[in-house]
Amino acid sequence: MKVIVPVKRVIDYNVKVRVKADGSGVDLTNVKMSMNPFDEIAVEEAIRLREAEKVTEVIAVSIGVKQNQETLRTALAMGADRAILVIASEDVHQDIEPLTVAKLLKEIATEEAANLVLCGKQAIDNDMNATGQMLSALLGWSQATFASELNIEAKNAVVTREVDGGLQSIKVSLPSVITVDLRLNQPRYASLPNIMKAKRKQLDEKVPSDYGVDLTARLSIINTREPETRKAGVKVASVDELLVKLKEEAGVI
Amino acid sequence: MIKPVSNIIEAKLRECLPESVFRELTNSYLEEPRGRHFGIEGLLLTPDNTNDVARIVRICSEHNIGIVPYGGGTGLVGGQIMPDGPKPVILSLERMNMVRDVWLSENIMIAEAGVILKDIQDLADSSERIFPLSLASEGSARIGGNLATNAGGVNVVRYGNTRDLCLGIEAVLPDGRIFNGLSRLRKDNTGYDLNNLFIGSEGTLGIITAASLKLFPKPKNEASAFFVVKDPRAAIELFSLCRDRLGTDLSAFELISCVGLQFLKEVGPDVILPFSYEPQWMVLLDVGCHQGTLSQEVLEVLFEDAYDRDLVMDGVISQSIQQRDDFWKVRESIPEANHRTGAISSSDLSVPIGMIPEFISRAEQRLSEIGEFRINCFGHVGDGNIHYNVFPLPGESRSDRDHDRKKVKKILYDIVSNMDGSFSAEHGIGRLKTNELSLYSDPTKLALMKSIKGALDPKGIMNPGVILKIE
Repeated sequence: MKVIVPVKRVIDYNVKVRVKADGSGVDLTNVKMSMNPFDEIAVEEAIRLREAEKVTEVIAVSIGVKQNQETLRTALAMGADRAILVIASEDVHQDIEPLTVAKLLKEIATEEAANLVLCGKQAIDNDMNATGQMLSALLGWSQATFASELNIEAKNAVVTREVDGGLQSIKVSLPSVITVDLRLNQPRYASLPNIMKAKRKQLDEKVPSDYGVDLTARLSIINTREPETRKAGVKVASVDELLVKLKEEAGVI
Repeated sequence: MIKPVSNIIEAKLRECLPESVFRELTNSYLEEPRGRHFGIEGLLLTPDNTNDVARIVRICSEHNIGIVPYGGGTGLVGGQIMPDGPKPVILSLERMNMVRDVWLSENIMIAEAGVILKDIQDLADSSERIFPLSLASEGSARIGGNLATNAGGVNVVRYGNTRDLCLGIEAVLPDGRIFNGLSRLRKDNTGYDLNNLFIGSEGTLGIITAASLKLFPKPKNEASAFFVVKDPRAAIELFSLCRDRLGTDLSAFELISCVGLQFLKEVGPDVILPFSYEPQWMVLLDVGCHQGTLSQEVLEVLFEDAYDRDLVMDGVISQSIQQRDDFWKVRESIPEANHRTGAISSSDLSVPIGMIPEFISRAEQRLSEIGEFRINCFGHVGDGNIHYNVFPLPGESRSDRDHDRKKVKKILYDIVSNMDGSFSAEHGIGRLKTNELSLYSDPTKLALMKSIKGALDPKGIMNPGVILKIE
């Protein structure tokens, strides 16, 4: 069984995000970019499945700019077997929208005759949380989202999902699209000997037209702005004063 | 003769100082991180400006009252607590925590002694600069204390000790005069370097109240890596290869032994260990490049080169900022793991870099002759600085082996002395190493130090018992 793991190159989780002056998006010029942390967890899980001989091949896929190569190399160094890069943009600022990504992934999953797609539950840049679900619909496969535990059994996958107020366990039939949550595993580091080996692993470059997918955007960003800065707190002398402030200034009681 | 601070003196101080200077003394001012010593009670004073510091010192000087200057309390040699003697004034600089000026175009920040090191780093960072002093206690250490002890840390290999990061200081002298050496000058050859007399003097010549600090451009991209090496000799060869290949882009080069990793596993703190096994020896490298080159690539090329030379066997490179932070957390948690394990003896040694492997093997050999120990040897190998900590075997407690402490120290210090090394590389002398200072120092050096102390502080009120013993 082959597993497809989509990986997105996003602004590093620890970088202080700066909004572009014209409000058209986030400034990514000379900013540290890394693999979407949820995708890292998906890569790790796929490698563990292969190590447990539940799957035979792990294929990392990235859709975006040429530099996504680096992200794929990280996935390969972690242990993915080969990689496919779909160059869909020349500008790092252009986000490829979920439906387009899902359509491309559908073609790749079909072409590769994969039985499982393991992806992050969402990307930390635009927080869409849509691609996995759309892909499952397009492929007509089952879906299991927010996985914090995963067991592959013959023709099914048993998935523990993190839901409001607890954990839910579901069984889905394969093929399936499973989106992973933070607590599924602790991803391994890319070891240096593996980074060296990863340089010799197969990385195919494609373009969207290879899959007959149209890139025309359906979504447009109206505005992007910084969250409002928090105002400094004030000290009150008494509970009465606090009540007055909550009532009159904050209007919450 | 030093006298205790009496109610009468306190009343005099109250006459000329605002109420806010007087704070209740808590135990935290009397403890030191090693937990071996406890200070006697003193009168805690927390002035918030240089003139008030000067007023306090003047009154203390007039009445022969001992002063213990206090920064963040993170010193490791007992310089911040006085375990016996007449009741002192404990002068904490915690309220002198203003950044007075920042000259971005000149890369200079003028900060008061009580500013916490981490706050200085963060402020520099917000202007795309760095203040490179970095050490495990940076969240509570204050810059005045860093200067007074000439602190080292992990970036010395690139940027130097605290001394090298300072253009000048403001200090209150033992008679209450104010020395203003706060300079923005990078060149000033006008006589003796008085700033450097106070830096590293551990509060024995005066109280540093502010400093003019050097900022540096922030490297555009940074990455860290753990390289597994066969032995310390390979680590030293790797260091020399790094110097050839990376020049000043190498920001840190730290040796870590498997014992440190075992401690982390046994007692925590909880960290993500880089390998599924515990390498006998590994090195943590940090690289920061300015233009064009990617630090990750630089590390990859270095690894390949070192691999071909049989210097490294395995390694990992940080792929994200989070991973880089996680790498450093391993290194920075080792002192805490040591603390939790409980050392018989901990030493902060330096030898010429090339002699580190010989030091490690000789020390191990000599210690094995007096008993069985667990040795956690780690540290800033790129500076020739080794933290050599000796622990009891599993199952034994530190008190079972306390009798070995003196023997262990003597063995280590004798080896270091033979190698023209230092028994205190970056922690200072404080009150804990005064014997060693008189034992292992050149007599002329000691005599000069005594003359300087006598000239500046003839009454001996400044941090009594630190560096030079009270005679």
